[in-house]
Amino acid sequence: MAEAAPQTSPDSELLHAIARGDESALAALYDRYHSILLGLLLRILHSRVEAEDVLQEVFLQIWQRAANFDEARGRGFTWMVTLARSRAIDRLRSLQSRQRADDTALRDAPEPVGDASDDAYHAEQREIVRAALEEIPEEQRRALLLAYFEGLTQSEIAARLGQPLGTVKTRMRSGMTKLRDLLGEKMRLG
Amino acid sequence: MKHEDYTEMLALAALDALDEGEQRTLDAHLAECADCRAELNALRDAAASLVYAAAPVAPVAPEFRTRILARIKSQAQDAPLASVASSNGAATLPTSSNVRSLDEFAARREARTGTVSRRVAMFGALAASIAVAALLISLALVWQRNNRLQRELARLANTVNQTEQQLAQTRQELANTRADRELLAAPEALTATLAGTKMAERARARLTFDERTGRAMLVAADLPPAPAGFAYQLWFIAEGRPPMPGKVFTTDQTGHAEMHDTVPPEGRHAAVYAVTLEPASGMSAPTGEMYLKSSAS
Repeated sequence: MAEAAPQTSPDSELLHAIARGDESALAALYDRYHSILLGLLLRILHSRVEAEDVLQEVFLQIWQRAANFDEARGRGFTWMVTLARSRAIDRLRSLQSRQRADDTALRDAPEPVGDASDDAYHAEQREIVRAALEEIPEEQRRALLLAYFEGLTQSEIAARLGQPLGTVKTRMRSGMTKLRDLLGEKMRLG
Repeated sequence: MKHEDYTEMLALAALDALDEGEQRTLDAHLAECADCRAELNALRDAAASLVYAAAPVAPVAPEFRTRILARIKSQAQDAPLASVASSNGAATLPTSSNVRSLDEFAARREARTGTVSRRVAMFGALAASIAVAALLISLALVWQRNNRLQRELARLANTVNQTEQQLAQTRQELANTRADRELLAAPEALTATLAGTKMAERARARLTFDERTGRAMLVAADLPPAPAGFAYQLWFIAEGRPPMPGKVFTTDQTGHAEMHDTVPPEGRHAAVYAVTLEPASGMSAPTGEMYLKSSAS
């Protein structure tokens, strides 16, 4: 378990360097992950303008909060991605309440997929995750993705899918457990 | 509650999908159970990998990186929580993950179960965040529009510039043509005929010049193309003086050439005109083979 024997990956080294105020480490982290994180933010927010704005916010927070990262409590990658997802879901909620308050709220057209700026490492990770998700039954996968990319709670997912809460919980549990088992070996250091 | 009841919540907690009551119950358990904390961390690692399930995106403009790196220079960093944690006694600190501290969960719960005063406060905060978001969006739109207009302006300026250059060139060509016509038509124009030497027996040329000003035009035909780095050069050869250099010129693919020059006063009478092959930059005295030569007038 990560708590017992923390692995020092380059990501966590970068975060430690950022915590010491090393600007080049932040630049390196940006170069490595900005495109992956932007993909996440775009998937959550469906607006390039919003996603780029949150991306900027995320890197500022990484800069400000890197000292709070503790590798005994998980991967650097997880810390960074979780931070990005939280910021995006916060933004999504504020946009949604604004939309309720004002129906004319601006929403960008869906972003077409342009030249993907993936390097070989990210392409490999993408393939591993794609393959893992394919092994998870459709209804479990759907619930997982609704929780992850739309920030819905179990009850909200149950309402969205028109399924009993108990069923949804079971599906999400099975799906997550399976995902962890499938990715466990392959992505431990990622 | 049994330990198993908590472990069942972990998968949903990793996705932040628990309803608040359950989340609160789990938080209390996590504070005491290292196994569950470790399990939650492992599940969060798996959840974070879902970032790769999002579609790849079009690249970000390089200015974006510059802007972020410029902004961090002006931002102070937080003090590490770790020091706070150790002073509080880390063992009892209920930390479920790196990012979602209990404070954050508490804040979220409060937001969900707000009292009237909280709602009022929230409304103010909401209005402020709407205003900020609207401002940011407007700024982004203005910035995009500004960029687009600047690109368009640059393109138009470039077009105008090119058009002006073309116009100047056309004017120059017209002036040259007019001067040439005047020169060729002038009754006082003098003409010398140049014939090809052994080097180019079919070549021929005519030098027409104004006796008063020396303004001259050379028209040549059937000269072989000059090798790379070489060009033809005109010479004015008056008796008792070294040859005076004229300009260098090259031919088109058919061996035709037109060249404007000024004949020096000493070369306008009783002179011989010749063309040699010289290094392309021209020489002060002939060094190469002679290709064209007029007969002495």
